[in-house]
Amino acid sequence: MSSFTTRADAALADPILKIAVERTAGTAQAKRAIAIDAFPDFEAARTRAAAIKDHVIAHLGPYLEQFEASAIAAGAQVYWAQTADEACRIVIAICKAAGAKTVARSKSMLGEEIGLPHALEEAGIGRVETDLAEHIIQLADERPSHIIWPAMHKTSEQVSALFKAKHRTPHQEETIAAMAQSARRELRGAMLGADVGISGANFLIADSGAVCTVTNEGNAELSLVPPRVHIVTAGIEKIVPSMPHAIHMLRMLARSATGAALTQYTTFYTGPRRPGDRDGPEEMHIVLVDNGRTKMREEGLAEMLRCIRCGACMNHCVVFRQIGGHAYGGTYPGPMGAVLTPTLDGLAATRDLAHACTLNGMCQQVCPVKIPLPTLLRGWREKSWREGLEPTSMRAGLGLWAWVATRPALYRLGTAIAIRAIRLLGRKGWIARLPLAGGWTQYRDLPKPAAQSFMAQYHQEQRK
Amino acid sequence: MTKNVALFVTCLVDIMRPRIGFAAIRALESAGCDVVVPQGQTCCGQPALNSGDRDHAVALAKQTTAALEPYEAIIVPSGSCAGTIRCHYPELFEHDAAWLPRAQAVVAKTFEVMAYLDEVCGWQPDGVTLPATATYHDSCSGLRELGIKAQPRRLLDAIDGLSLTPLAGAETCCGFGGTFCVKYPAISNAIVGEKAAAIDATGADLLLAGDLGCLMNMAGKLHRDGSKVRAFHAIELIAGMGDGPAIGEEA
Amino acid sequence: MSARAAILARLKCPAPIASEAAALLRAPERPAVDVTNLESEFLARLALPSVNASHDVVASLTDLPAAIARYLADQNEPLTLCCPPDPRLDVCDWSAFALHATAAPDETATLAIARTAIAETGSLIFETSPTAPMLPNFLTLHHIVLLPVSAIAAHLEDAPLPGPQPRAHYWITGVSGTTDIEGTYVRGAHGPRFLHVILLRGELPHMAD
Repeated sequence: MSSFTTRADAALADPILKIAVERTAGTAQAKRAIAIDAFPDFEAARTRAAAIKDHVIAHLGPYLEQFEASAIAAGAQVYWAQTADEACRIVIAICKAAGAKTVARSKSMLGEEIGLPHALEEAGIGRVETDLAEHIIQLADERPSHIIWPAMHKTSEQVSALFKAKHRTPHQEETIAAMAQSARRELRGAMLGADVGISGANFLIADSGAVCTVTNEGNAELSLVPPRVHIVTAGIEKIVPSMPHAIHMLRMLARSATGAALTQYTTFYTGPRRPGDRDGPEEMHIVLVDNGRTKMREEGLAEMLRCIRCGACMNHCVVFRQIGGHAYGGTYPGPMGAVLTPTLDGLAATRDLAHACTLNGMCQQVCPVKIPLPTLLRGWREKSWREGLEPTSMRAGLGLWAWVATRPALYRLGTAIAIRAIRLLGRKGWIARLPLAGGWTQYRDLPKPAAQSFMAQYHQEQRK
Repeated sequence: MTKNVALFVTCLVDIMRPRIGFAAIRALESAGCDVVVPQGQTCCGQPALNSGDRDHAVALAKQTTAALEPYEAIIVPSGSCAGTIRCHYPELFEHDAAWLPRAQAVVAKTFEVMAYLDEVCGWQPDGVTLPATATYHDSCSGLRELGIKAQPRRLLDAIDGLSLTPLAGAETCCGFGGTFCVKYPAISNAIVGEKAAAIDATGADLLLAGDLGCLMNMAGKLHRDGSKVRAFHAIELIAGMGDGPAIGEEA
Repeated sequence: MSARAAILARLKCPAPIASEAAALLRAPERPAVDVTNLESEFLARLALPSVNASHDVVASLTDLPAAIARYLADQNEPLTLCCPPDPRLDVCDWSAFALHATAAPDETATLAIARTAIAETGSLIFETSPTAPMLPNFLTLHHIVLLPVSAIAAHLEDAPLPGPQPRAHYWITGVSGTTDIEGTYVRGAHGPRFLHVILLRGELPHMAD
C-alpha cells in the first residue's frame, strides 16, 4: 500500500480532483452557513446534541439491550458482531439462507467500513449500489472519497464517460440531469428485482426498535421495500433513546451535511411486513456492529462515538479540500476519518493522518456534536510518540531542542549561534534555501532573522 | 493605575522578529503598564505538545509556569502561544495535584497582547498615523482558542489613515500548523498558495495578523510569488512601528 | 462467550434514568412556527426550492378527482392513477380515471393520503398499513398527496404516532433529488420528480377500525 505522502502528492498533482472537490465541498460549506444562521441558537442545539450522544454512550449497554428487545418484539431478528469479518459473515449467511442472487444496497458507511461490498462479491452475490454516487463508484471500481458525496472526486465529464461506457441506454444530452436519468433507467429494474435490501442506519430508536434511514434520492426506500428480506448493519453508537431525541439529531444532521432543514426522505422501519400490508419485506435482520467502538469508549475516544457522519468536518478542512478523500487511505476521510482510521486500521500504518492536520480547530467549530477533533488527533500523536512510531530524526531533533530549551542560559547561547548561522544564508532579508528546512524553502522564502535575538537586545538596552 | 506585567516574548519572536516584542512593550507602556521580561522563559512547549512529546511539553510547561507565576499579568504577542498556556497547560497537568493549581493561576492571568490592551486596559492607540490599506488574517488558535477577532480590529481602527479591507476566507487556516508545514510541505504549500492569492486579491498594501508563525508562512509565500504585499504583526502598527521594515525587509 | 455477551460485558454501566433522557428534550432549539397560522407556514416551506412542491386546495373530498384531473392535464399526463385501497376515497367519483392499486415500475401518477404534515419543514407524514402501501409513493413520477388542512401540525415532534410503531413511518420533504454529481441539484433521481399536495378544507372521514 502506498504511503500517505505519495497519495497526497498524487492528489495535489491532479487539477481535476481539486476542481471536483471544490465544487461540492464549497457549495456545502456555503449552504451550511446559511442554514446555521437561520437556525435559532445553533450553539445551544450543538450542546444538546452532544449531551444526547454522551448520555447514550454512558448508558450504551442498557440502551442496546432495550433496542434489541423492542426490535425483536416488532418481529425483527437482531445479531451482534464484534468485528468486521463477523458482521460480514452474518450478512452473507442471511443472504444465503434467503437464496439471494442479488442484493440492493443503500449507501452505508458502516457497510464500507466492514468491507461488505467485497464480502458480497467473494460470496458470489450480485450487488446493486443504489445511491447515485455509490453507483458511480461501483461502475468505476473505486472507493468512496467522502461520506456524504462518495463520488465527490469525479467531475461531470468523467461521470458522463463512465455512464456512456457502462449503461445500457445512456444519456444523449451532456447535462447532469440527463446523466441522473440514465442512472435512474439503469437502476430502477435492478432495485425491483433484488432478493435482499441492505442498509445502514442513521439512528436506532431504543424504545421502539425502529431503524431510521435518511436519503435525498429515495433510494433507501426503493431498495428496502421491494425485496423479501431487509438487512440492517449498524454501528452500536447509532442508538438514541426515543423519537424526539432522533428528531433533534436529524435537525442537526441535515443542516450540517447539506444545509437543508431535513433530507427529502426520512424513514423509520420497525420490524417486517405486518399482516395485511401491501408491501414491505417479510424478514428484517439487524446486525449490531462493534468493530472497535467499545475499545474507543475504553481508550479515551468516547467523544468520537458522538459522530453522526454529517461530513461537515471534511467540507471545512483545509487539508481535505486540497487532497480529497482517497489520500487518507481509510473508509472515512477528513478530520473524523483521521481520528477513526487508526482505530480501524492500526496506528502504525496510519500515523501520518493525525499529523497531516494544522490543528486549526475549524472542524471542531462546525461539528454538530462538538467532537474535540484536534484534541483527539493530538491524542493519537502522543500515542504514536509513546509507542516509538515517530521517525528517529524527529525524536532526536525534538529531544535535543527540548534539552536546550529547558536550560535557559544554554538556550540563549544556542539561539545566538543559530541566528548567526541562518543569517549567513540570507540575501536581502530573505532566505531561499535553508538546509534541514527544505520543506519550508521548497515553496516559500524564509525571512532572515534579526542580527540579535529579542532577549539579547533587551538586555543590552537594560544595561544602558 | 500602573499594572506590573510580564512579557512572554515567545521563541519565534525572540529569534525571528524581536521588534514584535519591543512593539508589545511600547504599546503596553503607553497603556500604563510596567513591563518586565522574565529571565527563565524560552518556549511554551507547543512544538513538543503538538508532536505528541508529552514529557517535554510538561517539562517546558513547568519551566514556563515557574518563570511567569510571580507576575500580575502575563502578556503574549501570539494567539497560539497564549492558547497553549491557557487551553493546554491545564490538560498537561490534569493528573498533577502539585502543578495543576500553579498552572491554573498562570492561565487566569495570561493574555494575548491585543486582547489585553483592548479588553483589560480599554486602551487605544493615540496619535498613531499610517496611511495605508491593510487586510487582516485571523490566526486560528487566537480566533478559536481565545476568541480574538474584534480586539485587533478595534485597535487598528484607531490608527489614522489606516483602512482595513476584508480578506476572503480570513478565518481559514493559512497552512502553517507548526511542524505541519515542514512535515507535509506540498499540502501546506497548496493551502498557503490559496491564502496568498486571496491576500493579493484584496489589493491591500499590508497583511496583518497576530501570530508570527502564520505571518512568516504567508509572507514567505507572497515573497516567493513576487507579491508586493508587506507583512507585519498587527501590534507593530498599533505601537506606532508600522513605518519600519516589514517581515523580510532589511532594517 | 457470544459476541453479544462480549460486547455487553465491555459496556457494563448503570441503566439510564428516564428523567435524564427526558431532560435532554426540554425546550428544544427549533425553527419558530406561527401556530396560529399553520396552513400558511406549511405552504411557505412547501414552496422552498429545497422542497419544490406545488399545491392546490379543495373544499371537500368529492372535489378531489377534479383537482387531480386538473393537475395531470397541466402536466400533459393521462388520467391514469395508482390509488391506495383506502375506503375513505370511495366517496369520490373516479369514473374519468383509469385506476389501479399496484404501481408499475414506471408509474406516472400515484395518490396517497398524508396523516399529518409539519409546518416547520414542509414535511408530509405517512405510515404503512393494509390500506396504505409504501412502494407506489417512491416509484411514481408524480406524487399527489391529499392532506386535510386540519391535520397540519407545527413541529417534527408532532409527527410520530404514540405507542407501538407501524412497520414504516416516513416523512417526505420534497421530491427525490441528488447532488451527487458535482454538488449540482437534480430532481427525480430515483423517486418522484414532482410532488403535488392537495389541501382538503373539509373533513376526511375517520378510518373504520
